[in-house]
Amino acid sequence: MKKLTLTTALLAATGLAGMAQADKLDDIIASGTLRCAVVLDFPPMGMRDANNAPEGFDVDYCNDLAKALGVTAEIVETPFPERIPALMSGRVDVGVASTSDTLERAKTVGFSIPYFAFEMAVTANDATGIKSYDDMKGHTVGAVAGTYEAIALEQQVTAWGEGEFRPYQTQADVFLALSQGQLDATVSTSTVAMANVKTGNFAGISVVGKAPFDTDYVALFTNRDEYGLINYLNLFVNQQIRTGRYAELYEKWVGGELPALTVPNAYR
Amino acid sequence: MFDTALSAADLVFLAKGAGMTILVTAISVAIGTLLGILFGVIRVQLGATLSLPLTFFLDIFRSVPLLIQLVLANAFMGMVLRLQISGFTVACGVLSLYTAAYCAEIVRGGIDAVPATTRRAARSLGMSWMQDMRYIVAPLATRIALPSWIGLALGVMKDSALVYVVQVTELLKSTQILITRLQEPLFLLLICGAFYFLISFPLARFGGYLEKRWSHD
Amino acid sequence: MFGYTFQWNQALARLPKMLDGALVTMEVAMLSMLIGIALAILLTLLRLSGARPLRAIATGWVEIARNTPALFQIYMAHFGVASFGIHFSPFVSLLIGITFNNAGYLAENFRGALKAIPETQTRAGRSLGMSQLQAFRYIILPQMLRISFLPMTNQMVWAVLMTSLGVTVGMNADLYGVTQDLNALTFRTFELFAIAGVLFYAITKIITLGARVIAARLFRY
Repeated sequence: MKKLTLTTALLAATGLAGMAQADKLDDIIASGTLRCAVVLDFPPMGMRDANNAPEGFDVDYCNDLAKALGVTAEIVETPFPERIPALMSGRVDVGVASTSDTLERAKTVGFSIPYFAFEMAVTANDATGIKSYDDMKGHTVGAVAGTYEAIALEQQVTAWGEGEFRPYQTQADVFLALSQGQLDATVSTSTVAMANVKTGNFAGISVVGKAPFDTDYVALFTNRDEYGLINYLNLFVNQQIRTGRYAELYEKWVGGELPALTVPNAYR
Repeated sequence: MFDTALSAADLVFLAKGAGMTILVTAISVAIGTLLGILFGVIRVQLGATLSLPLTFFLDIFRSVPLLIQLVLANAFMGMVLRLQISGFTVACGVLSLYTAAYCAEIVRGGIDAVPATTRRAARSLGMSWMQDMRYIVAPLATRIALPSWIGLALGVMKDSALVYVVQVTELLKSTQILITRLQEPLFLLLICGAFYFLISFPLARFGGYLEKRWSHD
Repeated sequence: MFGYTFQWNQALARLPKMLDGALVTMEVAMLSMLIGIALAILLTLLRLSGARPLRAIATGWVEIARNTPALFQIYMAHFGVASFGIHFSPFVSLLIGITFNNAGYLAENFRGALKAIPETQTRAGRSLGMSQLQAFRYIILPQMLRISFLPMTNQMVWAVLMTSLGVTVGMNADLYGVTQDLNALTFRTFELFAIAGVLFYAITKIITLGARVIAARLFRY
C-alpha cells in the first residue's frame, strides 16, 4: 500500500515536472491559439475601433505572428502595470505590448530583439506656455506608471528638485489629465503623442518638442526560460523587416520616417 | 452634456460590463455565503481557542486590500503553480473567500444572538444538535443576520469593481475603455455610478426595512 | 516543485521604500478618518434638522457614499470633477474620495447609535436650560461616539484598505503605489505584493489593537 502511494506521488511529481518543462512553442501550436498581451489605450500601437474591437500596430503584429505560427490570435488587453503579471500567470503567451527591454526586467522575462523604437516627445497643455523639455521644470508632469519614460521623467523631476511627478495607470488617463489641465505636460513616445493629438479628442494640447531620453527600443517578451519561443520571435522580427511588412505596418499606423532597429557599433 | 458620441453599440458594451459585474457578484456571493455559513458554524462549535487557525485565515481577507489579494492570488496560481486558470476564475475565487470571511462573522454573530436558554430548552425537549440548528437556531439567526448579509452582498458587488486587475472587464473597466475612446469622463462616469446606485439603493433600503421590522417584535 | 524561483532578497532590499509608503498610507487613512468623523457629525445634525433641503443633501451624500464603489468615488474626485475645471492633486483626490466614503458610512452608524439613546435625555437637557445644540453637544454626542466606537474602528481599517485605490488617480507615494512602481521596475510581482500584504495586515492589526487599548481607557466605567 505504502509503496503504491509512493509510486503515485512520484508519478504525479514527474507529471507536474513534465508539464512545467513543456516547450511553450509546442503548446501554442498544439492549442491553436496565440494569446498576446496588448496595451489597448496606446494609439497607434494598440487601441479600439468604433465597435470597441482591438486595432493598431501591435494588434496587427500579433496577428502576423499568429499567422506565421499557423494559429489564431487572441488579443488580451493588459494595462501597462499588468503586462508582466498577465504573462507570469499564464494568461498570455507573448507580450506584444511596446515593452522597453531593460536589463532589470530581463532578470524576470525573456526579450526578443527590438521590433519597434520610440523617440520620446513632450506634449504640453497650451495654457502653460511650455515650449520645450526644459520648460517643464517646476511644473506638474506625468506619464504612464511603469513605462520607460515614466521612470526617466520621475528621476528628472527629482533631479530638478521642483515640480511634481504623477504616474497614471493608463496612457488615456495621462492625456485626459493633460487636457483637463491636471497635468501641465507629459513625456510619451512621439508616435503616441502625435496619434493622440491628431484624434482631436483632446482640446488645447500640442506636441512641443523632443525629450532628450535615449531611444526606447521595445521588444516582444515571453517567459525567460522559453528559449525555443524566444528564438522563434527573434527570427520573426527579422523576417518582418526583411519582407517589408514592418515598413508596411509602420506606414499604415504611424507614417513618416521608419525608425532603425539596430544600434550603431553594436553586434546586436 | 447630453450631446454625446455614445452609440448604441457602446451601450451594449456597457451592458456587457454590467452583466459581468452581476455575474461575478452572484457567483462569489453564492459560494461565499455557503462557505461563510460553514466557517461560522465551525467557529461557534469549536470555540475561540480551537478555531484560532480558521479565524486567523479568514481575518487575512479582511485585513489586506482586495487589490493585493487579487494580484497575489493571480501571481501565485499562474507564476508559482503555473496553473492555466482564467482571470474570471481567480476573481470569483478570491471574492468568494472574501465574502466568506465577512459572512462567517455575520453567521457567528447571528448564532451567538440566539439565547443559550432557548437552545438548552430545545435540547431538553429531546432535539438533536442538528434539529436544534435546523428548527431553532437557523430561523432565529437568519432574522438577525439577513440585513447584514444584504449589506455584505451589496458590498461585494461594489468591491467587484476591482477585478479589472485580473483582466476581467466589468462595468467600471468598460466605462474606462469608453472614456478612452469618447473622452466624456463625467457623462460616462455618471452612467456607471447610476447603475451601481440603482441596484444597490433599493436593496439596501429593503435591508434597512427588514432590520427595522424585525427588531421591533 | 514550483516552476518559479522566489527572489525575496531583491524585494526585501526595497523594504525601506515600502515602509515610507506605509507611513503615507497611514497618514491618508488617519486624516480621512478625522475629517470623516467631523463631516459625519455634521451630516447627522443636518439629518436631524428640520430643514428639508439640508436633510436632502445629507441623505443624498450618505446614500451615494454607501451605494457606489469606493473606486468610483475616488475616480470621480479626480477625473469627474475636473470636467468642471476643479483640479485636485492625487493625494487630495484620494483623501476626498475616502473621506466622502467614510463620512457617509459613519453618518449611517451614528444614526443607528442615536436610536439607542432615549429622546427623553435631550428633553431633560432642554429642561435644564440647555439649547438644542448644547444638549446634542454635551449629552447626545459623547454617547453616540461611544456606541459607534467599534464601527469607527472598522471604518478606519476600511480607510487603510481603500488607500490602495489611489493608484488609479496618479498616487504613487502610498504603500500600494510604491509597490506597483517597484513591480514595474523589477517585475517581482509575487514577492513585492506579498510583502505589501504583510505590511497592510500589520497596519490593520495595529489599528484594531490600538483601538482596543483606547477603548479600555475611555470606557472604563
